[in-house]
Amino acid sequence: MNMLKYKDVINACRFCFMCRHLDTVGNVTFKEADTPRGRALILDKICMYRKNLKNPDFVDTIYKCALSAACRHHCVSHYDETGLVLAARRDITAAGFEPEKVRQLATELKANAGVELAGGSGEIIYYVDSYSAAKQPEIAEAFRLVLAAAGVSCRILTGDSGKALLTLGYRDPAKAVAVKLRDAVAESGCNILVTSCPASLDAFKNDYPELGVAFDADIRILHTAEFMLELLEHGKLKAGHNKKDKVCYLASDFLKNYNQLGEIPLKLLQKIGAQTAEFGTNREESYAAGEGAVVYDRLQPKILKLLCNRIASLADSPATDILLTVSPYTKYALATFSEKKLNVISLEEFVAERITTLAPRLKTTAIRARQRKRRARNA
Amino acid sequence: MANYEEIMMISKDNYMYAMIRSELAWVLGEENVSSDDSERLGHSIDYYWIPEMWHDRGKTPPAPDFIVHPGSAGEVAGVLQIANKHKIPVIPWGGGSGSQGGALPIYGGIALDTKRMNHVLNIDVKSLTVTAETGINTQHLEWAVQKAGYSTMHFPASIACATLGGFLAHRGTGVLSTKYGKIEDMTMALEVVTPTGEIINTLPVPRHASGPDLTQMFLGSEGTLGVMTKATLKIHPVPEARKFHAFLFKDMHAALAAGAKIMTSRLRPCVIRVYDEAETAKLIKRVLGIDKKGAYLVCGFDGPLKMVELEIQLACAICRRENSEDLGAEMGQSWWDNRYKFFYPPYTFQLPQAFGTLDTVATFANIENVYWAMKKTVAGNFPQATFIGHFSHWYEWGCMLYARFIIDAPPEDPLAAAALYNKIWDMAIRAAIKEGGVINEHHGVGLKLGRMMKDLYGPAFKVLAGIKASLDPNNIMNPGKMGFEGI
Repeated sequence: MNMLKYKDVINACRFCFMCRHLDTVGNVTFKEADTPRGRALILDKICMYRKNLKNPDFVDTIYKCALSAACRHHCVSHYDETGLVLAARRDITAAGFEPEKVRQLATELKANAGVELAGGSGEIIYYVDSYSAAKQPEIAEAFRLVLAAAGVSCRILTGDSGKALLTLGYRDPAKAVAVKLRDAVAESGCNILVTSCPASLDAFKNDYPELGVAFDADIRILHTAEFMLELLEHGKLKAGHNKKDKVCYLASDFLKNYNQLGEIPLKLLQKIGAQTAEFGTNREESYAAGEGAVVYDRLQPKILKLLCNRIASLADSPATDILLTVSPYTKYALATFSEKKLNVISLEEFVAERITTLAPRLKTTAIRARQRKRRARNA
Repeated sequence: MANYEEIMMISKDNYMYAMIRSELAWVLGEENVSSDDSERLGHSIDYYWIPEMWHDRGKTPPAPDFIVHPGSAGEVAGVLQIANKHKIPVIPWGGGSGSQGGALPIYGGIALDTKRMNHVLNIDVKSLTVTAETGINTQHLEWAVQKAGYSTMHFPASIACATLGGFLAHRGTGVLSTKYGKIEDMTMALEVVTPTGEIINTLPVPRHASGPDLTQMFLGSEGTLGVMTKATLKIHPVPEARKFHAFLFKDMHAALAAGAKIMTSRLRPCVIRVYDEAETAKLIKRVLGIDKKGAYLVCGFDGPLKMVELEIQLACAICRRENSEDLGAEMGQSWWDNRYKFFYPPYTFQLPQAFGTLDTVATFANIENVYWAMKKTVAGNFPQATFIGHFSHWYEWGCMLYARFIIDAPPEDPLAAAALYNKIWDMAIRAAIKEGGVINEHHGVGLKLGRMMKDLYGPAFKVLAGIKASLDPNNIMNPGKMGFEGI
């Protein structure tokens, strides 16, 4: 079983209560099972008696986990409880004991797998994830405006990254999807891959190498927050409109807890002169509405509603606060599932409203250096 | 070995089971009544070593028949009325992080999980109090109070694990208790649902002459006298300064003397901790990286900067007079910064080790004798056990001994392991009581120490038992705990 590779995590978490205050799902269902301790006890029982793997209550609990990794991030030893749950899901699907709704969702994802690369040439590839493409087109549109203002050309890559299949426990189908995407990027000749989707960023940076389909080492993989910060730092963009409205930044689980990039959007906001206010009561809790589970809106819509309502309840003034997210999924979830209407804006939209164009033909030092290197290699 | 899955399913094939479940769902809503295997497993094990060991050995600890999540005192009352009608045990459960087995459903029944009652209701900035529902996680409570610009000053190692109700039910404490008190010192008033389902409130202030204090009666009752559903606590301004200083003494005796002198000089430290030589060598080295022989002492003060500087200067002078090595402010601050690290794996003790915290409190005149009595008992009778201890939570008259025993390789057979474990507890605690120690200071009694309550209280235990019988005529509330009758 895959989860046996995480026996140290089971042993550490099964009797430990120290991070339970940060379990995203446990904080809204109030269930003991929905904590790292509860899940580790279950998985320990499964390791002891394999027939427990088919216990539907146990399986449901494992698929309720929102994978925010807030607990792992908090743990002084960073025991990989998130990895343990993902391993358990792989074991469950391998045994064919996944819930029907999971199986159906996976079938749908597999059927729609495939990538498309648009635009004949470009300095960068902008990967538009499925939430941005289908549900939040304004995010990609805003980012393209930012790129245009900075004079950066791009090609648009759409399609599945495989991340959803991977988090549901379907490793091999996820790998097949990843191969397609990796090959499309390789064929494009671009060496900067940018995405607004933190889940996809995590897939490209961490999952693909683990799956054995890593990108070429020369290809830089950046979140839009990182790329826009570079553009600002290199003078390609300049903050223009001095709007005084204050924003509350909702950190992305994948940027903060998976990739230690949680401060980048804040640096960007600072750079463009935005006024930020702390959201909620702390910086440890996940305010990403199940982002870690990638397709939580499809998997657990009832719990997602609870998550969104909790986030709304933590806003100082839900009706007027501007909540800024760096995750297309989170924007969609909060806009769709919160009972209170929230003002949610993506980082791309926020930046697009506040920049002016500088000399658009200037290229960033980093981009030029990489292009020179590529040309030299091709020659 | 029993199969887990089969055992968990037994009680569901029963007419009464369906009847009671229906009644609970009418009061709470279907979504707040659970009997699924995941939840039953989660509520069958708390932080008590025995159920952990049972689980580790592949056995199945007793589980509740139902887990309910009431959202208000009214819903709690509804649950208790159903339980009285059917004479079903009700076991209140907060964070489940108690170490004494107090939240274990030893007779099955209804686990009344309070976590849904998690709201901060009011922060009174004029009186400096906060009123909250008791199911709130205490870290969440502290964050909410901090956002308002104040602090509860309640910083236990289990701050992130436990609920406010758990601390109230066990007379819990935090690392700043020496200045800010234990939870019973912080509590102004309570809302309680009695075992028969009445919702009552204690008087709104803790100092009065209107008869015995009901608030104090319910505090520490461990779910045996009802369910505390709301509490008003004192809160405090965030201090201008908080500073620490550490010393190394040649032995525990000298460190204890310095700590007692600080307290009897009536300085007001927020923290004093003295680690014996064994714990200094084992845990202070491992967590703080101080690799020296002797007894480590840390003291801390907070408040206005000038007062803090003066008090810490006076405390340091006392320590230096005891011929100590000055480790400086940095080594004191390091303790504060890492104060919770001791409790995370792998720094905390873990199965397969057997371990227990022999929490005892006594006067300065007795505390050292208590320590030696326990240490000699453990070392003399159980050569396989290591004994370590530190002294935390200091008062004007004495302090708490946080002694622990650790056995690296206890018997594999669960009955033999439990027998050894219980024997150590029994002998060590009775040795402590004989020297004037009281069990215990902040972990509570629960299942683990219930059998000693009659010995500890003597004839006075009848008073406690009478209160229990009067409030809970059907003995539904957490039966078999705290030395009260089981079913």
